[in-house]
Amino acid sequence: MTAASPVTTATPAGSIYDLGYRHYEGKRNGRVYAMWSLFVESFRGVWGFGRPMTAKAAPFILLALYAFAAFIQLAFSSIIFQSISQPGASTEGLFTYANYYSRLGILVLFFCVAQAPEVVCRDQRYQVLPLYFTRAMGRIEYALARLAALVLALFLVLLLPVVALFVGDVLMKPDTFQAIGSEWPQALPSVPGDALVALGMASLSLAISSFSPRRAYSAIGIVAYVLLMEAIPAAINSVGETAGWTWSDKLFAFSPITSLEGALSWFFGRSLDPESFTGTLTSGNFVVAAIAGAAVATAVLCFRYRRMSA
Amino acid sequence: MALIETASLSKYYGSVKALDGLDLHVEPGIIGLVGANGAGKSTLLKILLGLLTPTSGRASVLGMDSVTQTRAIRQVVGYMPEHDCLPPDVGATEFVTHMARISGLPRTAARERTAEVLRHVGLYEERYRQIGGYSTGMKQRVKLAQALVHDPKLLLLDEPTNGLDPTGRDEMLDLIKRTGTDFGITVVVASHLLGEIEQVCSFLLAIDAGRLLRAAPISTFTQRTPVLAVEVEEGADRLAAALTARGARTQQNGARVLIALDSEALYDSVRDVVADLALPLVRIQQERGRLEDLFRDAAPAGGIQ
Repeated sequence: MTAASPVTTATPAGSIYDLGYRHYEGKRNGRVYAMWSLFVESFRGVWGFGRPMTAKAAPFILLALYAFAAFIQLAFSSIIFQSISQPGASTEGLFTYANYYSRLGILVLFFCVAQAPEVVCRDQRYQVLPLYFTRAMGRIEYALARLAALVLALFLVLLLPVVALFVGDVLMKPDTFQAIGSEWPQALPSVPGDALVALGMASLSLAISSFSPRRAYSAIGIVAYVLLMEAIPAAINSVGETAGWTWSDKLFAFSPITSLEGALSWFFGRSLDPESFTGTLTSGNFVVAAIAGAAVATAVLCFRYRRMSA
Repeated sequence: MALIETASLSKYYGSVKALDGLDLHVEPGIIGLVGANGAGKSTLLKILLGLLTPTSGRASVLGMDSVTQTRAIRQVVGYMPEHDCLPPDVGATEFVTHMARISGLPRTAARERTAEVLRHVGLYEERYRQIGGYSTGMKQRVKLAQALVHDPKLLLLDEPTNGLDPTGRDEMLDLIKRTGTDFGITVVVASHLLGEIEQVCSFLLAIDAGRLLRAAPISTFTQRTPVLAVEVEEGADRLAAALTARGARTQQNGARVLIALDSEALYDSVRDVVADLALPLVRIQQERGRLEDLFRDAAPAGGIQ
């Protein structure tokens, strides 16, 4: 034992093999450290680190599927550049920072369905919660640390194809340095936009997951909620269009998928693709709706842990 | 300073009274908390940990109030729940280290303490394997390790020998005893098995239906009682009748006759009566009190009416 060790021997030294029980007199950190530790553990857990190989399969496969298209575009960037340089060529089929999520966002939803239950259901299922709540960890601190980990994981998932698209677009141009200069302002809105999408998806899926200790029920709950909140406004709106209601299209603000997509397009200074939404709500309205939705979901999550018996 | 103090502590679940006006004053040591299932043991522990709020009354641990100073209490208390509380797909080392960090131990100290505590509870090479593959005994050890890892001053153990075989039970009890006596950590063991309490504890709290039945050092329960038990192969009824005729207070219990030891002369009477009746004597012994007597409705400590 070095002199700097925080562990001291309480009993006279025994044999070299049995040091006996020693009291800990070192530093004890507070609640911020506890939250940080839980955050790190949760973030590792989302990716299956420290767990068996099977736990790593789902997150990495879904990440690969979501980013796949961007990497394909990156791999063929020189061919693409040649073909779009032809006169009259269309760039419509290509992935851009603005349209990537709206085309492939369903895979991000799958990621939430697969990994959000992994973050919160285990502790309920295996009754680990009493061990946290009898330590220096408050219930709301627990909920927020878990949420932050999933938000960060989702943010990285969303950002990976953006990085791939950026590299691809830069490589297409003949002058790399000039290309970087002209390209990054276009890519930049992805950062706050993806952060908002990550926050919205993570808070929603954790809030729903926290109500069941079983992964399967949580997953079904997330899918059911998202689909219903898409289908119900659509149904009411189609009635409203014939009946001439002016309020029915506003209901899409309650739909997580539509409002997050709308909010993301606001960061790129666009309005929603008319194919997916034909209402009077502007993308600015959707930003408000997305933030409100994330706030409500976070509140529900915290409330759920406050009330949970341990 | 009292370790645990409660004043008219009550907890109702709807109309069910889990704790009903409990007054306790507990000094450090190894304390046994006994009671039948549903007597309120777990409820009391959870109130002390601040997991439950009492309906009325107050409780304090090491002078800190269980409602207002919950955080400070939790820093110095280790809790081992009665139910399973371990995720199956992580190793014991990883899990206990994580719990140490949640308790505020820095990374290196958490690792050191984990290695030490796991060795202390008797987990060696298997500590890197996933907990799901452990036996019940090993899981109980991990549960104890996570409660000890942050070096608490008070250890609350809820049914620590649940589901263990006799060997595992003895090992766990030995571990608890060493933790309490060698390391100066006060241990509260909640159990419904009196035999266990008798084996490890120095002080006993008996609660029944949310009320305090007895609180006293364990020795007072197991002292010799003023009762002589005479066991014969046959003719116990004749023995009892003859002794009653000589003025002794007796009670027949199968082949045994219990006699109140009112005077030294009783030994002679017993000898004479047994010899006169030519009874096949098996043994004569002074009765010891048993903890079970606490929960009997009949007279305490083997008394004879």
